[in-house]
Amino acid sequence: MPPPPPPPPRPAETPQPAESVLAEAEKRASFEREALTHLDSLYRVALRLTGNAAEADDLVQETMLKAYRAWHQFEKGSNAKGWLLTILRHAFINEYRRRIRHPETVDLDAIEPFSVFADVQDEDPQGTFFDRIVDDEVLRAIDQLPEQFRETVVLSDVEGLSYDEIARILEVPVGTVKSRLFRARRMLQGKLYDYAVGMGYIKGTPK
Amino acid sequence: MNAVDRYSCEEVFRRLNDYLDRELSPAEMALVQEHLDTCAQCAGEHAFEASVLRELKAKLRRIDVPQSLIAKIDAILSDPGHREEE
Repeated sequence: MPPPPPPPPRPAETPQPAESVLAEAEKRASFEREALTHLDSLYRVALRLTGNAAEADDLVQETMLKAYRAWHQFEKGSNAKGWLLTILRHAFINEYRRRIRHPETVDLDAIEPFSVFADVQDEDPQGTFFDRIVDDEVLRAIDQLPEQFRETVVLSDVEGLSYDEIARILEVPVGTVKSRLFRARRMLQGKLYDYAVGMGYIKGTPK
Repeated sequence: MNAVDRYSCEEVFRRLNDYLDRELSPAEMALVQEHLDTCAQCAGEHAFEASVLRELKAKLRRIDVPQSLIAKIDAILSDPGHREEE
């Protein structure tokens, strides 16, 4: 019987030329400086896209690995957050969305959200009912939005991106971003208004 | 500023989100501001929208990435096999 082949050397033990070690260290340092600083943002967006912590965790890991492998393509000094969010969104669409949620068949243009202000302006014109709603309830309301609305609201109101940046990430015209944002915020207000009425924070009729 | 250049309630309403998000040109921002200074109805709607949006953002931003995920990513980036593959 031939002797078993020797085990392959472990990568960590492979001697590397000093230059490549140095290049790797530089790459890692610039990645940590420009990319890892956006982890909070990526995680918050991933959480709202996937709807659960375990999938968000996986999605962010995958995003960072893809980003690290493609780091040479990133134009240093440009908008790393937008670049990373684009990678995250593509990873989500390609690998997670089909698994997690069924494709949505909502006719977005048919949605005509009502104005909560018209209902509350006499009783609560500053919208203070909203302050009493717990964070989890707000997150639940966001998670119930149609996906295209949800991602727009998250990029704008969670991450504070400009309409231009959002349009680039979602690959839609700026006008579409505006109209989704308008409808999404109205829908959110409507959901939270219904909740507040149900909880007795304000008087009114659920829509 | 000319009276003809002023915004109507309808024009302000259409720009309210853009105004809240500071996405208008300085000239448009000024026109919306001018209208809000003189129209109680629109000023009320703006105050409501601004307050709800502010609160929404504050609630949504109170989530940080878990330490365990930071550690996992650190491990992935430090593993030559993992990071070079594909």
